[in-house]
Amino acid sequence: MFRYYLKLASRSLFAAPATTSLMVATIALGIGIFMAAVTIYYLMANNPIPHKSDVLYAVQLDSWDPAQAYREDLPEQAPWELTYIDAMALRESDIPRRQAAMHKVSLVVQPTRVDLKPFQAQARLTDGDFFALFDIPFVYGAAWSRDADDAGQLLVVISKSRNDELFGGEDSTGRTLRINDREFTVVGVSEDWYPVPKYYDVNNGAFDEPEQMFIPSGVGRELELFSSGNTNCWKDEDINSFEEFLGAECVWWQYWVELPSEVERDAYQAFIDGYVEEQKELGRFARPLNNRITAVEQWLEVRQVVRDDNKVLIGIAFLFLVVCLFNIVGLMLTKFLGKAPQIGIRRALGASRGAVFRQQLIEVGALGAAGGLAGLGFAWLALKGIQQLFPGFEHLARLDLTMVGIAIASAVVTTVIAGLYPAWRVCRVPPGAYLRLQ
Amino acid sequence: MEFGPIWRASLRNKTGPILMALQIALTLAVIVNAVFIIKQRIDKITRPTGMDVDNIVTVQSFGFGEDFNLQESVPQDLAELEAIPGVLAVTSSQHVPLSGSGWGTELAGSSEDGAPRVNGAQYFVNADAVNAFGVKLESGRAFTAEDVEYPESFGVPISQVIMTRAYLDALFPEGGAQAGATVYDKLGNPVTVIGVLDTMHGAWVGWDELENVMLVPRVMPVESNYYIVRAEPGERDRVMPQVEQTLLATNDRRVVKSLRTHSEIRDSSYQGDRGMAVVLAVVVSLMVMVTGVGIVGLASFAVRQRIKQIGTRRAVGARRQDILRYFMVENWMITTAGVMLGSVLTIAVNYWMVASFELERLDPLYVPAGVLALWLLGLLGVAGPARKASAISPAIATRTV
Amino acid sequence: MLEMHHISKVYRTDTVETHALRDFSLRVEEGEFVAVTGPSGSGKTTFLNIAGMLEDFTSGTYRLDAEDVSDLGDDARSRIRNEKIGFIFQSFNLIPDLNVFDNVDVPLRYRGFTGAERRRRIEEAVELVGLTSRMRHLPSQLSGGQQQRVAIARALAGAPRFLLADEPTGNLDSEMADGVMALLEDINSAGTTIVMVTHDADLAGRAPRNVQVLDGWVQDTTQAIDSPVASQAPAELAVVGS
Ligand SMILES: Nc1ncnc2c1ncn2[C@@H]1O[C@H](COP(=O)(O)OP(=O)(O)O)[C@@H](O)[C@H]1O
Ligand SMILES: [Mg+2]
Repeated sequence: MFRYYLKLASRSLFAAPATTSLMVATIALGIGIFMAAVTIYYLMANNPIPHKSDVLYAVQLDSWDPAQAYREDLPEQAPWELTYIDAMALRESDIPRRQAAMHKVSLVVQPTRVDLKPFQAQARLTDGDFFALFDIPFVYGAAWSRDADDAGQLLVVISKSRNDELFGGEDSTGRTLRINDREFTVVGVSEDWYPVPKYYDVNNGAFDEPEQMFIPSGVGRELELFSSGNTNCWKDEDINSFEEFLGAECVWWQYWVELPSEVERDAYQAFIDGYVEEQKELGRFARPLNNRITAVEQWLEVRQVVRDDNKVLIGIAFLFLVVCLFNIVGLMLTKFLGKAPQIGIRRALGASRGAVFRQQLIEVGALGAAGGLAGLGFAWLALKGIQQLFPGFEHLARLDLTMVGIAIASAVVTTVIAGLYPAWRVCRVPPGAYLRLQ
Repeated sequence: MEFGPIWRASLRNKTGPILMALQIALTLAVIVNAVFIIKQRIDKITRPTGMDVDNIVTVQSFGFGEDFNLQESVPQDLAELEAIPGVLAVTSSQHVPLSGSGWGTELAGSSEDGAPRVNGAQYFVNADAVNAFGVKLESGRAFTAEDVEYPESFGVPISQVIMTRAYLDALFPEGGAQAGATVYDKLGNPVTVIGVLDTMHGAWVGWDELENVMLVPRVMPVESNYYIVRAEPGERDRVMPQVEQTLLATNDRRVVKSLRTHSEIRDSSYQGDRGMAVVLAVVVSLMVMVTGVGIVGLASFAVRQRIKQIGTRRAVGARRQDILRYFMVENWMITTAGVMLGSVLTIAVNYWMVASFELERLDPLYVPAGVLALWLLGLLGVAGPARKASAISPAIATRTV
Repeated sequence: MLEMHHISKVYRTDTVETHALRDFSLRVEEGEFVAVTGPSGSGKTTFLNIAGMLEDFTSGTYRLDAEDVSDLGDDARSRIRNEKIGFIFQSFNLIPDLNVFDNVDVPLRYRGFTGAERRRRIEEAVELVGLTSRMRHLPSQLSGGQQQRVAIARALAGAPRFLLADEPTGNLDSEMADGVMALLEDINSAGTTIVMVTHDADLAGRAPRNVQVLDGWVQDTTQAIDSPVASQAPAELAVVGS
């Protein structure tokens, strides 16, 4: 019977190619636009490290101005970053399994290859634990040690791409690399790593490229490196040297810890609260106690990585889909009721209501599947367009298998829902109606 | 006009008209809100920056090595850059306005404790900054070469600035402050406002205080800075490559990067707003198209269903225009029901967006404009099918069974 | 009243030409009741359509009320149909979405009468066909005979001088057909000229004048009974008269 219905459906669909293509195109447009919006949203709201996201925490201490909150629009929040003093103090705790203080720096690389001119590059100044903390594998070599951090040894880990560029892709561990006119030793080459969103530092955009070079945290003091990310100060301080700047109430360090269980989490919260209480005695931290450790997904939410515009677009794309569906219902109603005399004859010849209903729904399902497939095409086009509009968003605009599945499934489901009413209407055609009239 | 019978007839076949009215209502709600957002974004993108953005080239000089000294290199670089034919004015600047990266600080209008402080963007610039940015001095004077300081540390207090009218008024809310006014830095040091600018935009285009900007005549003791090179009209693209060559030739212990036109920088800062506007415009057009097709579809169906009745009407004396009008009126009634519901929906959607996101309340005039647009769309959509209906031969009445 | 001279009508499709009427001439006087008979496909409906100005013809002349209507524009023809001619169709052609009142109202709307005038005419016409109690019924709620009576009321409401009926009883059983025929006879006796196409020989026999159409020609004209034209002065139609 199902095959008979399929045959009837295909005959009916091919009998009116214009109406059928109009319906498929309408479903496809609605689904395509909606899927494009959802894809972007889904990647923005992506969990970048699912297997560890509940044990990785961003640390915040409220060291801000007693007169006003860090963000006037978010008065309950603490500053997003830490002062140098506090970042260094937190490194003394042995509660976290792994931890890393970090900030972005701008360096000038002077390649030994004569064909390459010196160039400026962003790097991450951080602790050796950074790689294990965020699960970044190594191609060659390994991370540096805690001692190297403390001593500010001139070591560097470069990414695979940068290694390809500077050393032709060979094992460069042990080689020297001239940075800011100093000799750095390459200790490792890390795999290219592109978390979406770039959760470990969303201050200057959550979707831009991660740094391709990493240097020990102690090097900053040695080379007097300011952050090339965000630095915010609140206190009226007379800062005349880098050394004074390190001691200032300026926040510019991000801090991440790995706390494997509830026990460590509670212990760590107690530790930072205790630390701040101590500092209060010294006259710092005049604001109420407000220290936060926030897991990855909550952190991305707090930092509003998914922007309002994207939420508005999802809403509008959804309404567009609804309009397309209303259109489909109208078209189907037209088509089905056009077939009413034929249905009346079928009914007179013994087709049950259920049979008529099923026949219509199968037709609708086929339409939905075709619309879903064509919708993928539209989604792909829409994403291409979005890449044009937002250079740098390339990694947010890609379709994966999940999205393909969701697109087709949602097309079929929504179309069938849209088809329920027309199918119900037509199966209620009384058998005699079109035989008696005239 | 026979509104009554048309209305009663529509009520008999209500599903189609109801669907259409709902579709029109949703379309109205979406397009009115979307067009409003588009308009706001366009206003935002096109508001005057106060600067001669279209003729400016910017470039970053990033020194490395112990022997590089920015404070020594700047005067030499400026002289070389000014010598390029076609260059109107040049200044060094710690940052580039509209670029999304910059330096903010706070000033106060009085030295009293607890005097309110106002945020602003701060640019460390050189003598010819007013000319190089192409900003208009409303009153007071521009910097001279003697004003420019080369401090050895960050902490040296500033003594004189040029600031925007917006910033000055924010510092002195009672108004009327003029060039010559004294403002105070975070440490309470007095700063003289020697010049007031009409308008100038700062670093972050999404920031409410974008127009709070001050220029400070100073070259900081750091390794990196930008040059703002303003070319004579039409000369920008010719000057651009020479800027890079000149800087590289002057000193090779540095990286010369980010050679970009200022308009390119501005455009990329507004990328999100422009992208949003374009995406919304596309969705609005598609929606209008889909709804338009829907109207044509429904009207064609209505005509097809009533071929015989149209023939009968013609047989009993209806003129072509009567038939035309019948369908126009029927469609107009559906559209009107749709836009009435839609107006309520539009306001509701706007309320929801204002409550959930940082969006502005809808200008109420957009609603009647949208209603008019949809009325027009309805009439255009029904015109074809109605014309077809009016061409139906009255002989149909006797020919069909 | 109606004068057709050498009318011919050719239907052209892509491949064939059908000569539905050839050299068709007929004269109908004011007040006559003419029954047109003939086999299926002989051109009866074509003749009626041309008479009622629903269709153009290929050649010949047609005068209605002493006015040459051969070259009238579409709007003028609509107006004549609306004012002078009433139609009754084999399949009733009531508008299914409109109730009895609104159906009878249709031609009056195009006539541009005031609301009160229309209401008066509708009520009178519906009363004449005996369906006053069904005023608010939809066509689907009426029997075939009742539907055809509504159609007659609709044809009469505008007080036409000339009534054209194409197989008005074709879809009715003989009892209902009888009633409809009686109604038409009443209307004719009140002065309205009637041309009725039928294939029912009995009904045709009841008409004072019979015309037979064969293959597009007026083959035969029988004057079964003396034409009532002479004896009856054209009078205002009773239905709408007073
Ligand atoms: N629209 C048309 N196109 C082509 N041929 C037609 C058309 N209408 C009628 N005819 C042909 O004209 C002839 C006369 O038709 P008609 O007047 O309807 O006959 P009757 O009413 O006597 O049965 C028939 O042969 C019919 O097939
Ligand atoms: Mg016929």
